[in-house]
Amino acid sequence: MRKHYRYLFGFPNVLFRVWGPFMILVLVVLLASVLVYTLRGNKVAIDRYTFIGRGPSIRPDYCGTVIPPNIAPLNFLVQESGSHYCVRIYSKQGEPIEVFSRSPKIVIPEDSWHELLNMNRGEQLYFDVFVKTRNDRWDRFSTITNKIACEDIDGFLVYRKIHPVHDRWKKMGIYQRNLENFNELPVLDNGYYKGGCLNCHTFCGNHPDKMLIGIRSPIYGSSAILAEDGVVSKVGAKFGFASWHPSGRLVVCSIFKPRLIFHSARNYIQDIVELDSALLYYLLDSKTVKTSPELSKKDRLETYPTWSPDGRYLYFCSAPMLWSDRNKVPPQRYAEVKYDLVRISYDLENDAWGKLETVLSAEDTGLSILLPRISPDGRWLLFCMCNYGSWPVHHPSSDLYMMSLKAAEDTAQYKYHRLRINSDQSESWHSWSSNSRWIAFSSKKGNYVFTRTYLSYVDQAGNVYKPIVMPQKDPTFYGSCLKTYNVPELIIQPVQATGEKLARVIRGSRKIAVDMPITMATPKAGVAPEPWQERE
Amino acid sequence: MPNLFRKLSSQNLGRPIRSLLFFIFFYLYLWLEVDLRLIYHGGGTITNFPVFFRGWAFLKGFTSHPGGPVEYLSAFLSQFFYIGWAGAVVVTLQAWLICVCTDYFLKAINASRLRWVRFVAPILLLIVYTKYTYRFLTTMALLAALLFVCLYLKMITKNQRTGWLHLAVFLVLSVILYYIAGGAYLLFAVLCAIYELLFRGRPQMGLLYLLSAAVIPYVVGVLVFNVSIIDAFSNLLPFSWKTLYYEEVGRRLVILAYLVYLVLPLTALVAGLGRVALKRKVKEKTNNKFFRLVAGIFSWYLRHNKLKWIVTSLVLFGIAFCALFFSRDIKKKTLFAVDYYACHKMWPQALDAARRHSDVFFIIHVVNRALYHSGQLNFEMFSYPQHPDTLLLTAEKYKLSRWKRFDICIDLGFMNQAEGDLTESLDRFGERPIILKRLALLNMVKANIGAARIYLEALSKTLFYADWANDYLARLQSDPNLAADDQIQHMRCLMAEKDYVSPLPDVKMEYMLSDLLEKNRQNRMAFEYLMAWYLLTRQLDKFIQNLDRLDDFDYPNIPRLYEEAIFIHMYKTKKAVELHGRQISPESLQQCKGFIQIFNHYREDKRAAFNELAKNYGNSYFFYYVYGESWMQK
Repeated sequence: MRKHYRYLFGFPNVLFRVWGPFMILVLVVLLASVLVYTLRGNKVAIDRYTFIGRGPSIRPDYCGTVIPPNIAPLNFLVQESGSHYCVRIYSKQGEPIEVFSRSPKIVIPEDSWHELLNMNRGEQLYFDVFVKTRNDRWDRFSTITNKIACEDIDGFLVYRKIHPVHDRWKKMGIYQRNLENFNELPVLDNGYYKGGCLNCHTFCGNHPDKMLIGIRSPIYGSSAILAEDGVVSKVGAKFGFASWHPSGRLVVCSIFKPRLIFHSARNYIQDIVELDSALLYYLLDSKTVKTSPELSKKDRLETYPTWSPDGRYLYFCSAPMLWSDRNKVPPQRYAEVKYDLVRISYDLENDAWGKLETVLSAEDTGLSILLPRISPDGRWLLFCMCNYGSWPVHHPSSDLYMMSLKAAEDTAQYKYHRLRINSDQSESWHSWSSNSRWIAFSSKKGNYVFTRTYLSYVDQAGNVYKPIVMPQKDPTFYGSCLKTYNVPELIIQPVQATGEKLARVIRGSRKIAVDMPITMATPKAGVAPEPWQERE
Repeated sequence: MPNLFRKLSSQNLGRPIRSLLFFIFFYLYLWLEVDLRLIYHGGGTITNFPVFFRGWAFLKGFTSHPGGPVEYLSAFLSQFFYIGWAGAVVVTLQAWLICVCTDYFLKAINASRLRWVRFVAPILLLIVYTKYTYRFLTTMALLAALLFVCLYLKMITKNQRTGWLHLAVFLVLSVILYYIAGGAYLLFAVLCAIYELLFRGRPQMGLLYLLSAAVIPYVVGVLVFNVSIIDAFSNLLPFSWKTLYYEEVGRRLVILAYLVYLVLPLTALVAGLGRVALKRKVKEKTNNKFFRLVAGIFSWYLRHNKLKWIVTSLVLFGIAFCALFFSRDIKKKTLFAVDYYACHKMWPQALDAARRHSDVFFIIHVVNRALYHSGQLNFEMFSYPQHPDTLLLTAEKYKLSRWKRFDICIDLGFMNQAEGDLTESLDRFGERPIILKRLALLNMVKANIGAARIYLEALSKTLFYADWANDYLARLQSDPNLAADDQIQHMRCLMAEKDYVSPLPDVKMEYMLSDLLEKNRQNRMAFEYLMAWYLLTRQLDKFIQNLDRLDDFDYPNIPRLYEEAIFIHMYKTKKAVELHGRQISPESLQQCKGFIQIFNHYREDKRAAFNELAKNYGNSYFFYYVYGESWMQK
């Protein structure tokens, strides 16, 4: 056997006999040296320091906010010059965590971090940052204080990652990130089915058991991939934004005819105009697609459906169509289109729709109301508003707003307020955690181009706290990340269906054929995607 | 000396010397003729050239799927294409190793008569590079597979024990190789199977190896690494959908990559199957006179090593020469070279390279840019073929050629159009430094410092653009708005401000150039392009209306082509043109008279006068105006 190993390593006999023990010795010495070097100075007692009367500059900004007790370590970069760095993390109970580093990157050990956070739910979490300056003196900055929330955030976040492209794409994927650590796995990327678009991943009430993903492929055509309790099927229709009825028995989807438009001299360069749109719903039991006159008015544009948690109302956005030519790009008065927020009652047992009511009109707000999402406890309606149109992610004017549905029920008045978490860039694509205490949303804060996912705590009174960017193991990650993260959806468990399982269905010929009551520019298999095919 | 020659011609030294000569030729051809810098640049055609960033984060992305290690190594080595000679060293080494491994395998199967096959793959590689396609990754995977084949052969020939140990060695190597080189593992399995089936006479082992070619990618790829079944079997192979679906050029030339992969298995198969058949035939035909004569000549030839060396070397170099001669594509090289020089603002070289095939729209477009930047646009523009759509590549055909348009948009100040083109290129061609640099620059110009920093930080992790990026990151630290940066300030002065909305990042030539001039009268490029547009579209009224803008610039005289246009306008309208105190040069007056004289001589018969006018005035605006084309003296 020994002889065999010699072959494996390719050592000729004589070399192995003479030099083998020596080489092993050299290796051991080298390894020991490396270990001694790396561990050297990792325990330094800082008893003397100069107090700097300000907080340290750190990136990402994890200061003065509320953090989930189950979040992955908030690794950060100390943006203060020095030769050594030390961060002491502590709370009311438990052993403090001390991180020493020659680099300004502070990487917190995962186990100790989780232990500390778990023991101190509802308490303050402190970060003392020490920096050793060039003249061998330690500086200590003011303590960074955060609060550990009592309530967990849902363990997984599903989002799409893509380059900030406009009309053509090559690689994109929907990924699930474990928020308790740094693991990111693909749910599905377009490599599984030889390229194409995938979008609008939707879950039924933060549960991954029921999931819908839209697919547009020049090879396999457009379809909606439906994963239902481990069974994956393909619906032969192109669905847009979707919302699952809480019962899981139907999904309401928008269908639309979007077109890209480009601005030649604005700070943002692209926008999307929906030339036409309507709402449909897919009944899972009967495998049929239906609509209602109230959901698909010819003179209006309907989009962004969302169910109330009790399943009695469907909320959506609706705007008057200001053009007669549904093919002209850009259409007339496209910059005047503003969406109202409306709702309609629904009787699941009888499949009957009620009357349409306006919740909030664009006339009152002066802005276009988009992307309504209701907290699972039914108390809060989170939405965004921007100057015009239906694609807030492209509008720097897009901000998040909150409305108390509970108060509206009591007073019959829909009052809303702008959240303080907004930046001067676009905020959009928000979702709630299953316990209604956390929101995830996309923001282009700090730049006009790349969306990042932020997490914010929402307290019982509906106050939304300073957001934290989704943590990464390498704290400098976002500094050079050339992908945008969009449509972040919180779920309580990982998606179980593997990418290959989903892809087999996409590539397969079996599909649920449905009759669409309305059709709108569905590309067929074998036809190259057109430039208008949107991705954000 | 005769002694040396005898040594040279002996087979022991002869083969290495021939190989050495071949690979010296290989290297020089790649370095001096192909110029791998052009492949690194990509010319807006090569979509699969890999990017490489320093750091663990980038490396980590390659560890999560089979084939990742070879992809990472290829990405790193490919960066040396940036330096022409270094890239040629890398490719030559790769080809040499393929040659050595092929030779080793052929020796192992006792096919010494077929050892010339070792040069087939390097010759095919030369053709691949001559065609300006990028196949380094696929060939790296091939090399990994061949190295593992050699390792397997070395291990089992040294250890002659029972088959189970060989099987174990094969399986261990298979799993390692599959992780390292993805689908290229199939080649390893097939070669080992052929070896066992046809040369070792162990059919069970051979069949097991073939079975493993189906099982290992599924188990390791699909079940362990969770990659798609398509990628599990095809990643890094020439028939991977990534090659066939995305790369139009790659699709056309994929046959070459297939050949590189198939040459050794086919040779082994032929050698193995042929061996038995040949033995039988030799026995049958020993009485045939003709066969005996041929065999006699052949054995005489084989005995004369010197002659054999010379003949085989001549044949080898002859085949290589013919292959390259028939596969070279000068037009394609010109396109790549012109794009490369334009992107690096090497204007004299661009003009020089453009002289061949100067009738291609994109090349004319670059010529116009080069002429502008060398101060010759309004003098020499019609020394080259022209078309109005070449100025900003507004022809329908070029509307989606985003790569080719972004630089002219940046030059002129159409930052959003450039950004649109660049971000599309980023996805199509990958996060290439040339794209990141421009995106960083234009975001700094637009004062989107947050986005600019992201591009700069990404760029700072590249091998060859890091200094530029770090310099700007340092500048942003001290001067966040880059108020003291002359280049940025200049570009901000030129930037378009009036917003147009269109379905594509489009340039509405006349309006947008006029708007640029309205914003900044000193925008010289906008002025010259607008005037060129009027000349090319023969809108002389508008040309004359804008003539007073000459005062905004420091032209010592009226540019020659403008003078010619003024003559034509005066001739057609019979009205004088206000020249704001400027004078028409006597040379232009003489030109005009001469042109009219010849034209009148042929009684204004355009067709009859063509040759003489083309000969003397082919590069004048007079000629273009009359004939709608220029006549470049080639």
